[in-house]
Formats: sequence, structure tokens, C-alpha cells
Amino acid sequence: MSAPPPLNVLIVEDEVILAVELGFLVREAGCRDVGHAMSSDEAVELAWALKPDLALVDVHLRDGPTGVEVAREIAAHCGGVALFMTANVRRLPADFAGACGVIGKPYSEHAVKTALAYLGVCLHEGRAPGQPPLGLQLAPDFAARWGLCDAAWAS
Amino acid sequence: MTIADARLPDQPLVFANDAFLALTGYGRDEVLGRNCRFLQGEATDRTAVAQMTRAITAGQPVSLDLINYRKGGAPFWNGLHVSPVHDDAGRIAFFLGAHHDVSDRKAAEFAAARTLEGLVSARAGDMELALTQKTALLHEIDHRVKNNLQLVSSLLLLQSRRLQDESARAALRGMLERVSAIATVHRRLFQSEDVERFDVAEFVRDLVGDLMGAAGRGDIQVGLDLERVDIPAGQAAPLALIVNELLCNALKHAFEGGRPGRIDVSIRRGEENFAIVVGDDGVGAPDLAAPPRSFGLTIVHLLSQQLRADCNFEDSQPGVRATVVVPVASPTGLASPA
Repeated sequence: MSAPPPLNVLIVEDEVILAVELGFLVREAGCRDVGHAMSSDEAVELAWALKPDLALVDVHLRDGPTGVEVAREIAAHCGGVALFMTANVRRLPADFAGACGVIGKPYSEHAVKTALAYLGVCLHEGRAPGQPPLGLQLAPDFAARWGLCDAAWAS
Repeated sequence: MTIADARLPDQPLVFANDAFLALTGYGRDEVLGRNCRFLQGEATDRTAVAQMTRAITAGQPVSLDLINYRKGGAPFWNGLHVSPVHDDAGRIAFFLGAHHDVSDRKAAEFAAARTLEGLVSARAGDMELALTQKTALLHEIDHRVKNNLQLVSSLLLLQSRRLQDESARAALRGMLERVSAIATVHRRLFQSEDVERFDVAEFVRDLVGDLMGAAGRGDIQVGLDLERVDIPAGQAAPLALIVNELLCNALKHAFEGGRPGRIDVSIRRGEENFAIVVGDDGVGAPDLAAPPRSFGLTIVHLLSQQLRADCNFEDSQPGVRATVVVPVASPTGLASPA
């Protein structure tokens, strides 16, 4: 297996402190921090312009709980994949709005880094290298697409 | 008032007074010679009829309300009392029947029942609404607590990135680990349906996974042997902080200089308490009996007092074994640290 190329990551988060720190984590994980958006309009605009491989999307943005629609838009039109980062995992729609999964807040530094490394392999190889790491929950569609059985996301 | 002859086939009426005739609308010649069941009809409760038959067959008097029908088919509630009359030989000779129209009383009873039912259902509706609102509020608070914990973690991380001084960075990292332990508690607390109980074993599993992953020490093996223990949610954070300190202590001090080794964590449930044991086979500590000097161990001692837990360190040759024995029904955080 060849090492996956660095992911281009868009951060969609309205808490500036979280977004800045997340930027550090993304770069430390060997990814490229390509942009930050705080509202749904900005997020969709940047996703169109930058075509990121992965967008880290909070559900609550500056203009309300619009993160879900951002994820849908990215999945449908921008070619990339969204990953939710939210404290309200239960409120996500059953189909994850086309996003590949969720990291629940509060997350640890380690959880974010291992999730990024894991998703880097999934997106590059089209297959999961194993069960998702602690803290990352995959969407049912993506677990199936990346060759994991149901047990991978049932918990 | 009616009298039925119990000795004749099918026990026909042999007497009916004027009041009975006025009540039912029949003439005397229309009722005498017939079994009284001709008053029954479609809406008559069969269970009540069977109950009456059982009673009079056994020679017992019986009172009950039965839907009967007047001549012409109009129903009414008959408040019926039937008592057997025995002959000299002790056999049942007659049945005396007393009949009263109790339709008004029954209507009032049904109205009262409907009112009560209405009140109960309105109250249930109120309570359901209150519960929905409470659940929504709980989720909102949960959401804010988690976001704020994330904010605190991010602030600590951001500042630690800017610090040049190694000991200041280490102190901030220590605080970050403590905040993360509390964050892990909150993730676990609202994952279960019961927000008032907290599963210690699941928490320890999460915490060990995160700490070991973050330490990046593939040369340290971890063994988990965890029995399920539920504690009140109010004890979750202090206990989480204790376990966090013990684990971080073992990780930081037992295997210095790249020494490989093993950490074992177990939870054992007893009748009145449970024990959490964190053991390592590392370099050991020189002065286990001395009062704690590090901030981490001070926290362990203070929070143990709060939980009324016994905390004990021993030399396990090699390494250190820390045992915390927590009473199952200890009060939640009421004791003040000495």
C-alpha cells in the first residue's frame, strides 16, 4: 500500500479558537489546512473553489444549524467528503447527509489525528484499513463502501 | 317485586306487583309463567348474567345492575336484588326479585368516569409535554457543556503550542489531560439512556485507549480486566480524574528512558465497594509511604477523600501497584477535602 497523499482539509467551524487549534492538528496530522469557513455560505463557496478532499463540518454554524446542508452540498456537488464534528451526534440524520461519519465533541487531539490518518487511507485506497479508531463513527453508507461489515458502525 | 317458582321447569314468574308492571310496561298476563330473562336483550352484560346465575344456583342472594328492556324495546338499568327462599327441607322454593330503575344513577356514574378519564388524559398530556421539554433542555445543556469543554481543551492546546518552557508546557499538558478525562465522562454520560448512572468500565476503556494512543508508546502493553460497575453520575468526574492521574503517572514515570513494560488495569466489584487497580512493572517509586509531592498525586488523595475511598500504593517488585477502593453507596462529593 502506497502512502496516501496529504489530504486537503477545509475547516467549517464558527468557534474561532476551535478552528485555529483544529488547523494545527490538521497540519500536525500531515494534511493541508486549505481554508476556514464560519457560515454555510462561506463553506459552500470555499468547497466549490478549493475542492477539498475532506471538510470537517460543525453542525451549528454562524447562521444556525446549517452544517447538515453544507455536508449535503459538498457530497452532491463538490466531489469531496464531509466529516461532522459536533457535540450533538444524536441529532444527525440517519443518512449522515452524505457525510462519511462523525467525531463527537469534545474530541481529543489523538482522536482527531488518528481519524485523519484513517480517513486518508480510506479515501486513497477505497477500502478501510480496519475498524475505525476510537472517537470516529462512520456513516453506514461509507462503512459499506469501504468494506466494513455492519458491526463497524452499529455501536 | 317478583316471585319465581324455583321448583317449576325454567323457574317461571308466579307473582309480579304493580310497581314491576309499571317499570317494565308489560301487563300481568304477559309476564306470569315466563322466566324473568325475557327482560334481557342485546346490550345486557352476559358476564353479569352468568354471575347472577351462579349465585342463585348456589342459593346465595345477589345484587347487580343489569341492562333490561321495557315492552317496546326501550332499555333501562335494572338495579336487581335476587334472594332465594328455602322450604322446610332446605331446598330452594322461590326466588324473590326486587327491581329498581337505576338509569339516572348509572348515567351519573358514567359521566363521572368520563370526567375522570378526561382529567387523567389531560394530566398525562401535560406530563408528556413537560418531559419533552425537560429532555430538550437536557440535550441543550449537554450540547453546551460539551462545546465548552472543547473550547477549554482547544485553549489549553493553543497556549501550550506557544510556550518555550518545557515545564510550563508539561503543566499545561497535564491540565489538558485532566480536562480530556472530564470530557470523556461527559461523552459517556449522555450516551447511555440513564443519565443518572455512569459505567466506570466503559469509561476506563475509553480513557486507556486515548491515553495510550496519545503517548505513542507501542512498547508498553496494556491489560484490561474490567467488571461492570455503575456509579452515580455525580461521582463520575472525581473518579475519572483519579483514574486519569494513576494512568498518566504510570505512563510518565514507570517507563522512562524507553524502558518497555506493561500496565494492568482492573475493576473488581464487591458487596459494599469496588476496587480499581492500576499496576505497572516499571522502575518503581522510591518513597511510596511519603506524603505525595506531585500535583497529580495530591489530586488523587483529595478526590479519594471526597469519594470516601481508600487509596493505597505498594511496591509490586518490579513497579508500583495503586489500589483505590470506593464504597458503592458513598455520598456524592459532600465531604470537604481536609
